[in-house]
Amino acid sequence: MTILSVNTLTKKFGGLTAVSDVDFEVQPGEILGIIGPNGAGKTTLFNMLAGSMQPTSGTVHLKGQNITGMRADRIARLGVARTFQITSLFPALSAHDNVRAATYRTKKTGWMASIFRTATYRAEEADVDRDAMAALHFCDLAGHADDNAESLSYGDQRRLEIAIALAAKPALLLLDEPAAGMNPEEGQRLVNMIRKIRDNGTSVLLVEHHMRVVMGVCDRVVVLDHGEKIAEGTPAAVVDNPDVIRVYLGREAVSA
Amino acid sequence: MEMELVLLTQQIMNGLVNGMTYVLIATGLTLVFGVLHIINFAHGEFYMLGAFFTFFAAKLLGLDYISAGIVATLGVAVLGILANRFFFWPLRKEHEFTVLLSSLGLALLLTNGGELIFGADPKYVASPFADGIVPLGPVIVTQQRMLIFAVGALVLVLLYLFIQKTRMGKMMRATAQNPEGAALTGVDIRRVYTVTFMVACGLAALAGALVGPTAMIFPTVGTWAVLKGFIVVVLGGLGSIPGALIGGLILGVVEALAGGYISMGFAQAIGFSIIIVVLLWRPNGLFGAARRA
Amino acid sequence: MMARFLPILAVAAALVLPLATSNTYFHHLLVLWMLYSLLALSLNIIVGYIGELSFGHAAFFGIGAYTAAILGMNFGFPGFPGLLMAGIVAGAFGFVIGYVALRIEGPQFVILTLGFGSIIFTTTNYWVDLTRGPMGISNIAPLGVGAGFELSSALDYYYLSLLLVVAFAYACHALMLSRTGRAFIAVRENAQLAASLGVDVFRTKLLAFVVATAVAGVAGAIFAHYLTVITPEVMSLNYMVAILIMVIVGGRGTIAGPILGALIYVGLLELLRATGALRMVIFAALLTVSVIFLPGGLVSLWRRFADRSTVRTARQAQVEAGE
Repeated sequence: MTILSVNTLTKKFGGLTAVSDVDFEVQPGEILGIIGPNGAGKTTLFNMLAGSMQPTSGTVHLKGQNITGMRADRIARLGVARTFQITSLFPALSAHDNVRAATYRTKKTGWMASIFRTATYRAEEADVDRDAMAALHFCDLAGHADDNAESLSYGDQRRLEIAIALAAKPALLLLDEPAAGMNPEEGQRLVNMIRKIRDNGTSVLLVEHHMRVVMGVCDRVVVLDHGEKIAEGTPAAVVDNPDVIRVYLGREAVSA
Repeated sequence: MEMELVLLTQQIMNGLVNGMTYVLIATGLTLVFGVLHIINFAHGEFYMLGAFFTFFAAKLLGLDYISAGIVATLGVAVLGILANRFFFWPLRKEHEFTVLLSSLGLALLLTNGGELIFGADPKYVASPFADGIVPLGPVIVTQQRMLIFAVGALVLVLLYLFIQKTRMGKMMRATAQNPEGAALTGVDIRRVYTVTFMVACGLAALAGALVGPTAMIFPTVGTWAVLKGFIVVVLGGLGSIPGALIGGLILGVVEALAGGYISMGFAQAIGFSIIIVVLLWRPNGLFGAARRA
Repeated sequence: MMARFLPILAVAAALVLPLATSNTYFHHLLVLWMLYSLLALSLNIIVGYIGELSFGHAAFFGIGAYTAAILGMNFGFPGFPGLLMAGIVAGAFGFVIGYVALRIEGPQFVILTLGFGSIIFTTTNYWVDLTRGPMGISNIAPLGVGAGFELSSALDYYYLSLLLVVAFAYACHALMLSRTGRAFIAVRENAQLAASLGVDVFRTKLLAFVVATAVAGVAGAIFAHYLTVITPEVMSLNYMVAILIMVIVGGRGTIAGPILGALIYVGLLELLRATGALRMVIFAALLTVSVIFLPGGLVSLWRRFADRSTVRTARQAQVEAGE
């Protein structure tokens, strides 16, 4: 079944149309990239998918369920995890506690169960620790489990964000410019990690600026310009598309 | 004019004059929040000090009321500089709650310190305008209250010109919008802090000097003042000076009407009831920008 | 480890503490300590766990006290069910006020809670028919189950309130080890990220607010039964600030902190009784100094002491890395 299906999604701010009639789908086990020059509407689109912004019109369906305009926490509970463009962590907590907090969605027992230390509670808490450690291991952060998030290096913090998102065991992972500010080596590490995430059965949608990351990891790419979809296809096909070269790669070459 | 209508007009008039007091108190509070993003719980204490300094300047230095009021305003403005230097400037990088709580500590220090030094018994600031009456058609207003209104209006105009026209005013506006950006473009943030506190505390003291003759003054009057100030700034929108003007006048009039037609006791709760209703309708206040959960 | 047995040792010490003397005034202070501990622990849920500053907490303490007093006086409601009712009524007020105020965060929330607290204080003062106004309600019956079993001495109230403090402290401890507690902390640390993980931020805050206000109500009810007199004064700005001082000076977000803060408040109030007005100046200085220099409160001193060895190794590692 299609994981995410976006139909004629539109966002207007006053007279300005930031996203206009955009359609695309994310299939199970797929990595979809959304690219475009600055101001193309990538962030607006991303925010509508994650529930932090209301669309003006159009629909978003998650595994067939209509999630258009739903609040962020409800979308999250349905199995969508996200990262933020500007690093967003629980800075004063240890890396381990950061990830433990992220297991919220998949667990059920509450305060009462913990007061009476019920068997379900103890079993779930053991799960929480295991899931958290697994997510840290996955992101090469096991060695930093007890370090405060704010004391980690920038690259480690970005990977901790992904660990947090993964600990929520999402069906769909939304990554908002995960490679921003990374050096090429860290970028390569990120590419490998995203592949591994997909191989574990999570679909990935990433909005990205770094062409190298997009070309290296995405199965399919959607190209936006001025809020409109101007191309869609495999990275190789998109790179050869004259429209894309004109609006995006051309401009990049000029600015670079 | 009918008796009923005269009474109503008189009450609205009283409300507007009281409201101007609130405006004077709230303007400094909203200025400090707007420019520096600081909630200053001690703001009311500078109002209290303004009233007491006027009293002591008249009594100990033998000054007339107007000179005493000017001396008090300048004196408290200097205290504002000191409060900034020792309390607020060193905490500028701390969490907003740390600043809020330490300003609460400063408020308690000044109230209770004031009680120790000035004594808890009420004082009366003498003014030659306290008993003079100005008839305005069918309603009457004391000269002192006219003075409050006139000075309040004048001060707001001067403040507006200061913020809009002077270099310092431009720096304050730049700091309000983006402190880091302002610092990068060469704004002397430290001077902005100093001037903002100087002006805000001076305004509070001026309000104290003006309102002192209309009521008894106690060292605890600052608590009353800051609560009124908070109602006004939240009503008008934190950080907005036009908001403080409109909010203060609305609060004054509504309180006067509620006091006249419902009960004096509940008039106190009225202000808070208004802001609750207003915030439900507009979480940012009438003129402001708040974060919404 | 030591830390495991510390709470048990503390409870044991609290159990035998009043036996050290038959001085009833000392027992009275102990009761106040325990009731303020319960109150401060409840405010700590809001200030320490979900990270919002509430200035209205004394109002809920007062609502609980007045509920117990009015139910007993006007309806002959017996003591212990009255405690429960006091908690429910205070919690219901907490629900309504939280439902309104928690939609707004930051400074506006602080001022809104101050506003609600003031409205409740003013209403209590002026609704003479219900509350008897500023004179307050006196001759409140002691807590009991019928006439046969009554809490009569300060010692009885001490053990009752100690029991509640221990139970609530344990509940807070369990909270921090639960999924709900992790959601509280997540909301405090980064509400936007918490929402992206499926936490309903508003409902989480509201839950915390209702629990905190309900517990404050129970503390207020015991306070009313114990003193047998209640006046609107317990809801005044002084009390609101006092509870906040206990939580902040003791150490927000911890369990020992608010209890320690309550002890310091009751103890200093007693020790400084002779100094009169200077007393509040000292309290104010204490608040300011602890906010600026000890943001973690007094309990953080202990942690600093306990962590000294680890800090040193971290610093050594830094030095080595620098070389």
